[in-house]
Amino acid sequence: MMLQQYLKDYGQQAEIFVEQLNLLENGRMEAFAAIEALEAMVAAEENTVLLQIGGGASVRAKVLEPEKILLAIGAEVVVERSNKDAIEFLKERIMEMEASQKRVSETLDKLRGQMNEINKRLEFGYQQPVAEPEDEE
Amino acid sequence: MFGGLRERLQAARNRLSSSIGSVAAPPAAEPVVTPPLPADVLTGPAKTIAPSFVDKVKVLVLEREFIVSDKNIADALSELEMTLLESDVALPVTDAIIASVRKNLVGKHRKIGESVDGMVVSALKTALLDVLGKGFDLREYITTHPHPVKILFTGVNGTGKTTSVAKIGSYLHKQGFSVVIGAGDTYRAGAIEQIAVHAERIGIKVIQHQEGADPSAVLFDTVQYAISHKIDVVLADTAGRFHNKSNLMNQLDKIKRVMKPDLVVYVDEAVAGNDAVIRAAEFDRTVGADAIVLTKADMDSRGGAAISIAHTIGKPLMFLGVGQGYDDIIPFDPAGVVDELLDGA
Repeated sequence: MMLQQYLKDYGQQAEIFVEQLNLLENGRMEAFAAIEALEAMVAAEENTVLLQIGGGASVRAKVLEPEKILLAIGAEVVVERSNKDAIEFLKERIMEMEASQKRVSETLDKLRGQMNEINKRLEFGYQQPVAEPEDEE
Repeated sequence: MFGGLRERLQAARNRLSSSIGSVAAPPAAEPVVTPPLPADVLTGPAKTIAPSFVDKVKVLVLEREFIVSDKNIADALSELEMTLLESDVALPVTDAIIASVRKNLVGKHRKIGESVDGMVVSALKTALLDVLGKGFDLREYITTHPHPVKILFTGVNGTGKTTSVAKIGSYLHKQGFSVVIGAGDTYRAGAIEQIAVHAERIGIKVIQHQEGADPSAVLFDTVQYAISHKIDVVLADTAGRFHNKSNLMNQLDKIKRVMKPDLVVYVDEAVAGNDAVIRAAEFDRTVGADAIVLTKADMDSRGGAAISIAHTIGKPLMFLGVGQGYDDIIPFDPAGVVDELLDGA
């Protein structure tokens, strides 16, 4: 049935947008964690941090240059920035990701609205023959 | 579309203008506001200048001709470089833009009365237009080539290939061309139904086989149908695939041998940024690509892929997908995009 195919089609598109939202959210949380680590690194005594080495094991490590941060700024380019500038950069990226999340959410809402509309029409289609015999159409 | 890049470019443009402007403006003490009074009271070189001449010098100092030097704009250019990289514009493209802006500004005479901002905007426009290329006019291509024009769509999974085929079908249909779509994605569950529904909605014939059928056979049939019915354009959808899957790439080779496409179009999403550029280059190397379609450009604030892709792989950008509706696809117009990036905001 045509309407069911529309619904399936919209459902697939919605799934892609949900996936994109999740990716953005992960990126945002990662950036927040990085900011926290950058700030804590400078504040910590002798610049000591806990370095996770996998399998739930961690070691205490001293950061040699907590003021020199190597930062991937985009286009696969890594540049050296000061700690403060790196935090600024990450904050801007977070704002950018939040703006993208907003746009994706809006599109998703629109898609869901359309899916609800199709669902209603489907329901109506199922009820119609029971309520009214064919001659009404 | 590309809002973040527009804002950043605006900031970079202001920075360049103010760097040049500070050279153009006289040092604070320089404007000789010497009253045209007793010439002998004055000391220094200006003391013998007659009042009328002083006024002339004043005008020259305030709105003088000057030559932009590399030193004047070095900082602003390095800021522009960061701006472009942060917007995911590929490194070689960034280098090309910076080199072009430098070439257009350094050594340039600012004529009296010419606006500094105008100079900067014109240099940025030239640089961006150089890397964006000329675009690809599909309408013109179709009208100037023998029919049916066979267009094969390729790309990785989930980037909106099937939807783009439907959108381009709708666009060409509205332009007065007859179109047939070949449902060559026989691999993904529901893909044939998806394209069939799209085709029905926009009033285009679709040729389909069963799920799992050989895509080459489907697309061969589509071309035969187009020839016998004198259809103008064949749009061939294919399954999404990654360039490193050799069996799938061999299948694509077979499709190309069987249907002999006039154009191979690579579809990717603008939001993938630099990844889209790298993948496009890989596809171009393995199966070839004649033009690019970037989807989801409305969700992309950085614009890196759109700026970089044509220059990096040397193939033109043909369409930008900008929404969910069938009409939400726009032929890529480099001049329009550059105007929007530099004049808007």
